[in-house]
Amino acid sequence: MKRRDFLKGLSLSAVTAVVIPTVGFAADEKPKGANALAYKDALAAITGGKTPELSDKVSLKVPEIAENGAVVPVTVEVDYPMTDSDYVKAIHIFAAKNGNSRCIDAHLSPANGKAMLSTRVKLGETQEVVAVVELSNGNFLISSQSVKVTIGGCG
Amino acid sequence: MSKSKTLIKIKPNTYKNGDVVKVSFMVMHPMETGLRKDKKTGEFIPADYIKSAKFEYNGKVFTTMNIWETLSVNPVITTYMKIDGEGTLKVTFTDSKGTVEESSEDIKPKG
Amino acid sequence: MKKILHVALSVLVASSLAYGSEQFAMSDADRALYEELLENNPADMMLASGSEYLDALGGNTALAKYLGQSEDSLAPYLAGFPRYIDKYKSVVSIDQMLQAFMHDSGAKPYTLKSEEMFNMSSYVKSLANEQAINIDINANKQMLEAYALGKEVFNTRRGGRGLSCYNCHNSNVIGSVLRTQPLPDISAKGNASAATWPAYRMTKSKLATLQKRFQGCMENALLAVIPLGSKEMTALEVYFTHEAKGALIAIPGLKR
Repeated sequence: MKRRDFLKGLSLSAVTAVVIPTVGFAADEKPKGANALAYKDALAAITGGKTPELSDKVSLKVPEIAENGAVVPVTVEVDYPMTDSDYVKAIHIFAAKNGNSRCIDAHLSPANGKAMLSTRVKLGETQEVVAVVELSNGNFLISSQSVKVTIGGCG
Repeated sequence: MSKSKTLIKIKPNTYKNGDVVKVSFMVMHPMETGLRKDKKTGEFIPADYIKSAKFEYNGKVFTTMNIWETLSVNPVITTYMKIDGEGTLKVTFTDSKGTVEESSEDIKPKG
Repeated sequence: MKKILHVALSVLVASSLAYGSEQFAMSDADRALYEELLENNPADMMLASGSEYLDALGGNTALAKYLGQSEDSLAPYLAGFPRYIDKYKSVVSIDQMLQAFMHDSGAKPYTLKSEEMFNMSSYVKSLANEQAINIDINANKQMLEAYALGKEVFNTRRGGRGLSCYNCHNSNVIGSVLRTQPLPDISAKGNASAATWPAYRMTKSKLATLQKRFQGCMENALLAVIPLGSKEMTALEVYFTHEAKGALIAIPGLKR
């Protein structure tokens, strides 16, 4: 490789390094919290290994680009009845790359009237936010979306 | 955290029986993950977060939640509730230290 | 707690959340998501706490009486701060006025940087929600001097990088991206800072006053931090508030 091309390659990578992956810790010394649980394990714990169905009945609203990683709005709405015999039993929200990928589990009932859960979560880096919906018939629905998290700003 | 402060909001704030309203529950809480270091001492700040919430309407529990330290500081959680008579909405929450607190809001449907 | 109304709030917040170049401008969908957060602003709890502190001192009624205002004239009067008050021989912000109120009521005043004062002064300012900012810099020579001083502080280059506030907050660089954040226009009425601060800062998870935010900015720009309530800091607030004159107060705001 010619020297000129090598240097050009270097400057390109420097310019694109705006999104910094992890906040505050070097990769090798990232501490693990007591609740640390990887996404695929957390998902398996909820579904018991059953495959959730990708569904557009699950509307997951998160920003494309998070204004900041400390307060990221997440809203999950499910287009599904809430009758005594057929209802949304639970809505689970996950942050796929957080040390503890679990955010919140809401166990609902027909008395909710409509299935919806909205809150704000902490995201440590750019990642998928996932909504897993549990139905009274034992089936699972899923929807996910990527949220870009940048570090920066004047404090 | 010294004094707990909570806020329950119903939207819309006028409703009648059969309406499905938004219930928002807000609490002042540090939601410490246990992974943050005190800048002065260099020590990890111990975990301290709300870990569950129970929503009751006229004595009947209609929603329960498991909450993790992943939620933002001063968490806000919103869900829906079907109005079915005059009464009280009570939210009981527990934190990782074992503290249990309650917050209530009157439900007064108009018609 | 007095009901906090949100007239025109979404417009103010939307414009204050992010301006920017093509690359980092907030999409309409994202902007809508963040506007929704205002419906349940954690700062509402801090203001509720503030109202309790004020109640302990006699509430709105005692405050109105102290300021020589009626219950109806209190809100527009508050919308005119910072003011020159002859009794103190200084131009004061709401928090300094409250310190005097506490002292004259026989209570030990909260310090300006205390959580109690942030909460209480924010609550008191919120009593003027929906009022148009009516600061009068021509009221007397002290107000004129304060405005001139504030403008001077804004334009003075100082600190390790020789920066002034103007360097990053002037109409030529609005929208340019610095450290991934678009530089906001803090002069236009559309983003009237004085009308949307005090605000909940998401990155700090705390309620901050405008002066406190100035301090944060100074720290980051390597400028010596000016103390809260100092002549210069009050003057800066006069300058900003005058720039926002006419804008409707809508607090607590929500900011990054």
